[in-house]
Amino acid sequence: MRNLNLPLAAAAVLALVLAGCGTTNERTSDNPQAASSKKCKGADGKYVIGMSQANVAEPYRQRMDDDIKAAAKDVPQFEVKFADAAQDNAKQVADVENYITQQVDLLIISPNEAKPLTAVVKKAYDKGIPVLVLDRKVEGDVYTGFIGGDNVEIGTQAGKYIAEKLLPNGGNVVELKGLAGATPQAERHEGFLAGIKENPKVKVIAAASGDWLREKGQAQMDALLKANPKIDVVYSHNDPMAEGAYLAAKAVGREKEMKFTGIDALPIPSGGIKAVEQGRLSATFTYPTNGKEAIAAAKKLLVDCGTIEKTQTLHTRLIDKSNATQIYAEENPNG
Amino acid sequence: MTNAQGKPVTDERSVEVVGERSAAEPGAGAGAAPTAIAESSGGVVASLFRFQSVFGLLAVFVAAIIFSPRRDGEILFVSADNLANVVRAVSEIGIIAVGMTFVILIGGIDLSVGAVLGLAAVGSAVLMVESDWGLIPSVVLVLAVGLVFGALQGIATAMIGIQSFIVTLAGLQIARGLARIWSDGQGIAIAYGNGPHEAPDSFAVLGERTFGGLVPIPVLIFAVVAIAAVVFLRVSAFSRHLYAVGGNEKAARLSGVPVVRVKVAVFAICGLLAALAGIVHAVQLNQGSPNDGQGYELDAIAAVVIGGTSLAGGRGSVAGTVAGALLLGVLNNILALNNIDSNIQLLIKGLVIVAAAALQRLRPTS
Repeated sequence: MRNLNLPLAAAAVLALVLAGCGTTNERTSDNPQAASSKKCKGADGKYVIGMSQANVAEPYRQRMDDDIKAAAKDVPQFEVKFADAAQDNAKQVADVENYITQQVDLLIISPNEAKPLTAVVKKAYDKGIPVLVLDRKVEGDVYTGFIGGDNVEIGTQAGKYIAEKLLPNGGNVVELKGLAGATPQAERHEGFLAGIKENPKVKVIAAASGDWLREKGQAQMDALLKANPKIDVVYSHNDPMAEGAYLAAKAVGREKEMKFTGIDALPIPSGGIKAVEQGRLSATFTYPTNGKEAIAAAKKLLVDCGTIEKTQTLHTRLIDKSNATQIYAEENPNG
Repeated sequence: MTNAQGKPVTDERSVEVVGERSAAEPGAGAGAAPTAIAESSGGVVASLFRFQSVFGLLAVFVAAIIFSPRRDGEILFVSADNLANVVRAVSEIGIIAVGMTFVILIGGIDLSVGAVLGLAAVGSAVLMVESDWGLIPSVVLVLAVGLVFGALQGIATAMIGIQSFIVTLAGLQIARGLARIWSDGQGIAIAYGNGPHEAPDSFAVLGERTFGGLVPIPVLIFAVVAIAAVVFLRVSAFSRHLYAVGGNEKAARLSGVPVVRVKVAVFAICGLLAALAGIVHAVQLNQGSPNDGQGYELDAIAAVVIGGTSLAGGRGSVAGTVAGALLLGVLNNILALNNIDSNIQLLIKGLVIVAAAALQRLRPTS
């Protein structure tokens, strides 16, 4: 592999010269890929990657970490460190500062919130550390690449599925929303309304906020069931709330009267794919954790000395009875 | 020496040996006026215990140097940048913990400080960004909110006689609710400039670094608060009252200490400092979020306990608390630099708190 390194190094130097990167590390954001060429040592290099996670209390985020860990196993040059900010913006700032101190070769961050982390992400980037932002953006464009799902698209797919597959002749829908004020909640609601527009006979008769939580979804559904004698579909912003709603309906013997759909489709035993497979939910829609894709992008930057898209949007997939078992197996190759 | 009522206070010493004093343990005074233990009488062992957190801090600091990752021969932990980060990261908790020390010294507890921090962060953002207030009026109002909030809690516990644990547990909920109402449940981003809906640039300065870009301003604020508190406890008559109330409230009342006034003042100071920490928090994160500061009260209590202040009241020091806060900060930092699993970090921090409390049990009483 030695002989491969020369052209790579030459390419890196050339890239630096072309990028007009002088003697300083300070770069402006119109030159987003210079950092990677500086950090890239080719296939013979060893790279330390710092992953800053907003919290590991949510199964989705724990799975993101697990996916990163699994994908990095296949790249022998990579060593990944993990930090958990426990939903505290201030702690996440300190976590990123510590990665800067350690001079990691690449930073992956899934921000707790955009605004408080923008400055420290810029600080890392200005020190020449390439930054991959996952799931939630930071403000502005001072990062190397963003990888995330599209919640509006997911909501639209769910709305279309309900309007075309579940209720072609129309019917009553109740909506269980995520936490008020959270961006994904607003987007999954907006997309859903666009998705059911095609079928005017589909009516949203009630909505309630379950704050993403199973127990809260169950409590809200209790009330919705009492208030509404005819419910045909429950559209839930995530799988745990849909599961809670199913339990509430089952408690009063009405679970056969209606269909339930969720979002997220985590490939874990307590996740949405299993709930579809076991018949509690009619469908769920994947919300990719971006873990695999983040490591692929890191490999492209550090090992291949290539460039990546500034924004990579991952599309959602419909999970229903027909593909649940197969997709669960694909996502968990080691059983 | 006389107290506020002009009655002589039974205190054998007319000269303070070492500033902050400890009152006798409850019971040791046997209902008499609280007698202070002369620092010298405890001898070397006593002062070892008194400054346990300082020694603890030194020990953790040395361990951090030993276990620090190195790069090109440079010890990362002691790099100026990293040490600045460490102190910056503990400055908010440190400011809160100073106020908490006062409350715990009188035998109380304040669980509302994290929520008051969130309320103050939201208040700063709303006033400066949405209402376009200037820096000074905004800061004054936010500090006043914290002061009044704390004073009301002090009144509830001192006059109505509800335990401070209960009062501040309720205060936590109320402050969190107010923060969410004030901000419509949303984090309010802070942008700087002279235009409408922009905070004044002078506010941004509070988050910057000084002395050649090395010392973060929040650290200076923390240092000023800590030094002011230490000096205050050394020179004011109020300090005697504080230790007296914590040592033996009944005896203090009988000997003419204005117990109610002391309690209200202490909770007001604690609320004020929590609000100050909230302002520092908002400027560091460019945002006022109603959910921020959750669990900070527990970090602050941990710093106070590691600092050697007894939850029973009447014994402890602000200097100890500062060392305790720094110890936690150094510990957090070195665990992170070594990428110790975050779940293991929780275990280690728990064990450190227990160890500090255990040391206190070994401490010889008078």
